[in-house]
Amino acid sequence: MSTTTLPPETNTAVAIARPQITVSNANPPRKGWTSWVTTTDHKKIGIMYMVFAFAFFIIGGVEALLMRIQLGVPENSFVDPQTYNGLLTMHGTTMVFLFVMPMMAGLANYMVPLMIGARDMAFPRLNALSFWLLTMGAAVFYGSLLFSPPEAGWTSYAPLSNLAYSPTGGIDAWIFLIHLTGIASILGAINFCATIINMRAPGMGWSRLPLFCWTILIQSVLVILAFPTIAAAVTLLLTDRHFGTNFFNPTAGGSPLLWQHLFWFFGHPEVYIMILPAFGIISEVLPVFARKPIFGYKAIVASAMAIAFLGLLVWAHHMFTTPTATVILAFFTIGSMLIAIPTGVKIFNWIATLWRGSIVTSAALHFACGFLLLFVIGGISGIMLAIFPIDWQLHDSYFVVAHFHYVLVAGAVNAIFAGIYYWFPKVTGRMMSESMGKLSFWMTFIGFNVTFLVQHSLGLSGMPRRIYEYASGNDWGTYNMISTLGSFLLAAGVILTAYNAVRSLRKGPLAGPDPWKANTLEWFTSSPPPPHNFDVVPRVRSVEPMKDIRRQVERASQPAASDHPSVSA
Amino acid sequence: MEAASVSHLEHDHHGPPEANKSSRVDPAMLGMLLFIISEIMVFGAFFTAYFFIRVVNTDSWPALGQEIPWAIAGINTLILISSSLTLHWALHSVKSGNRFAFKVGMLSTFLLGACFLFIQVNEYIHLGYSPTESAQGSIFYGLTGLHGAHVFIGLTLLLMVTVRAFRGHFSAEHHRGVEVPGIYWHFVDVMWVVVYATIYIL
Repeated sequence: MSTTTLPPETNTAVAIARPQITVSNANPPRKGWTSWVTTTDHKKIGIMYMVFAFAFFIIGGVEALLMRIQLGVPENSFVDPQTYNGLLTMHGTTMVFLFVMPMMAGLANYMVPLMIGARDMAFPRLNALSFWLLTMGAAVFYGSLLFSPPEAGWTSYAPLSNLAYSPTGGIDAWIFLIHLTGIASILGAINFCATIINMRAPGMGWSRLPLFCWTILIQSVLVILAFPTIAAAVTLLLTDRHFGTNFFNPTAGGSPLLWQHLFWFFGHPEVYIMILPAFGIISEVLPVFARKPIFGYKAIVASAMAIAFLGLLVWAHHMFTTPTATVILAFFTIGSMLIAIPTGVKIFNWIATLWRGSIVTSAALHFACGFLLLFVIGGISGIMLAIFPIDWQLHDSYFVVAHFHYVLVAGAVNAIFAGIYYWFPKVTGRMMSESMGKLSFWMTFIGFNVTFLVQHSLGLSGMPRRIYEYASGNDWGTYNMISTLGSFLLAAGVILTAYNAVRSLRKGPLAGPDPWKANTLEWFTSSPPPPHNFDVVPRVRSVEPMKDIRRQVERASQPAASDHPSVSA
Repeated sequence: MEAASVSHLEHDHHGPPEANKSSRVDPAMLGMLLFIISEIMVFGAFFTAYFFIRVVNTDSWPALGQEIPWAIAGINTLILISSSLTLHWALHSVKSGNRFAFKVGMLSTFLLGACFLFIQVNEYIHLGYSPTESAQGSIFYGLTGLHGAHVFIGLTLLLMVTVRAFRGHFSAEHHRGVEVPGIYWHFVDVMWVVVYATIYIL
C-alpha cells in the first residue's frame, strides 16, 4: 500500500533524509469529563447526542404522562389549564427538537463515518459546535421553567404567540430554542452532506452507499431547505413581539396566515426529517436479521428522494381549514396522497426483504417489524386526513393526535429502538439483553396501541386536541381512561430498555467486532472502534462489503466449506 | 538503498489509512455552497412575507405616504456590484502570483462593501418612517436589514482575508481562504440585486 503513496521524488535512487521530528509541549490525551467537553471525535459527539436525546425522551415522556393523568377522568383538576398548556408545548417541542432529531443526529454522527469507512466527519469542530448549540438551545428552553414556560403549542401560531396573548418570556425561550437547534441542525446537515459526498471508502460508489447514509444525506438536504424558513419565521415573530413590527398583525397589513405558511413549509418537511433516518435504520436492520440482501436497493433510494421532493410541496395540508380556494385544496390533497406511493414502495420492499429470509428473531427485528405494522396504520390515517373534506371534520381532533403519534412514536421511536438494539454492541462493545429487549418491545407495542388506537375513536366522537379537561356524561371518559392506562405501560416498556442499556454497559456479554454478522463497514472495526476508526479500509465491491469479506475469509480458510447461511444467536 | 528507503517509509506510516476522496469537490467549498443554499431559503422566507403583504393582502407598495429612494439605492447597487468585480480581480491576482494587485483588490473590495453599508444606514436614517408603522415598513426594513446583516458578515470575512493578505498569507497554490469567503460575498451581492429589483423597482 505504501508504495502507491510514495511521493514522486523518492523514486530517485538518492534516499532523502527524513526530517527530525521533535515534539515539544505534546498534550497527553484528556481523560474524564474534559475529554467529552473538548472532543471533536464523531463517536464521542454521537454518544453525547444519544444520551442527551434519551434524557429528553424521558423528560418529554413524563410531560406526556402528566397530561394523560389530567385527561384520565372527566373534569379533572390534577393540573391547572395554564400548566397543561405548558406541558403540551414542552412535550411537543421536546420530542421533536430535543429527542427525535438529536437522536437521529447522534446515530448518524456515530454511524455514518464508520459506515462509509471514514476517519471522522468532514468538519469535526463544526460537528462539536452543532452539539453544543443544541445543548444551549435546550438550556434556554428548559430554563423557561424557572419563570414561565411557553404555552402556545409546538406550532406557536400567531396571534396566540404575539405579545398581546403570550406576554411572558416563554415564547421567547421557544424562539431561541428554534434558532439554536436550527443552526445546529443546518450546520450538522452541511457536515453530513460533505462527509457522505467526499469521504466514502474506495470503491463505494453511489450505488454502494449504505441505505442509512442515503437517508441521512436526503434528510440533510431537507434540513438545509426547510430549517432556514422556520428560523426566518421565528425571527419575524421575535421582532413582532419586541420591536413593534407588523408581520403577523392583520390590523396593520400583516397576516397570521403568513405564520402558518412559513411554519408548515418547515413543519411538513420536518416530519420527513424525523422519519427518513428511521427508514434508513429499518433498511439496515431488516436485511441483517432476514439474512438476505435488501430487496430493491435502488427503489428504496429513489422512493426516499421522491418522498423528500413531494414532502416539500404539500405543507398546506396542515391548513385545510384556513380560507383557501378549492383548487388549491385539491392540489394539496393530491400531492399528499401521492406520497403514499413511494412510501408504499418502501413498505413492500421491506416486506419482500423479510419474505423467505432465514429470520433471526432478535429484539432489533421485533422493533423493526413493529415499525412496519404500525407505521402503515399511521400512513393510512394520514391518507384519510389528506382528503380535505375529511380533514374539515377531523381537523384539530384527537384523530390527528392519534395519526401523528402512529407515524412518529410507532414510526420514528420504534426505528430508534431497533437502532439502539442493533448498534449498542458496536458503540459499547457489549450486548444488550435480548429477552429484556423483546419484553420491552411487547410492552411498548401493546402500551402504544392501547394509548393511541382509542384516540382515533376519541377524535371521531369529537374530542378536540389541546383541551385540558372535558365534561362527563359521554364516552370520552372511558376512551381517555384506556388511553391513560396504556401510556403507563408504554412508559414502563421504555424504562425497561433504558434499564437494559445501563445494565448492559457493565454486565452485557462482550460483543466482538461483528456480533450480528452484519453487512456494512462499521462492523469491520473493533467494538467500540478505536479513535481513528479503521486500521485498514477495504475496497468496497458491493452494498454488503462485510458479507464479501466474510465469504473471502471463509474461502481462504477452508476451500471446501459449505456455503450455508450462518445464523447468529 | 531504494528498498531501504521504501521500507523506511512503510515503517513511517502510523495511524489510520489515508483518507479517500470520493468526489472532486473541495469540502470547504461544498460546505459553503450548501450554507449558501440555506441562506437562499432564509431570504426566500422573507420574500414570502413580502409577497404575502403585497400580493395576497393586496396592500399598496409602499404604504401610503411612504417613499422608497430607488435612485440612491441604485447607486449603492452599482457600488456593491463593483465590489464583486474587485474581489474577482483580487482572486485572479493571487492565482497568478501578483501580490500587489491582490492586496489592492482585497482592500478596495472591503472599502466598497463598507461604503455600501454606510449608505444603507444613512438611507435608514433619512427614510422618515419606521418598521412599526405598517407591514410594508416592517418588510422593507426586514428584507434590507436581513441583507445588511449578511453584508456585515461578509465584510467580517473579507476583513480577515484582507488582513491575512497584508500579512503575506495565500499564494498562487494556496488561495482557498480567499475563494470560499469570496463565494459568500458574491452570493451577498447577487442577493442584493434580487432584493433591489423586488423592493425598489418592482
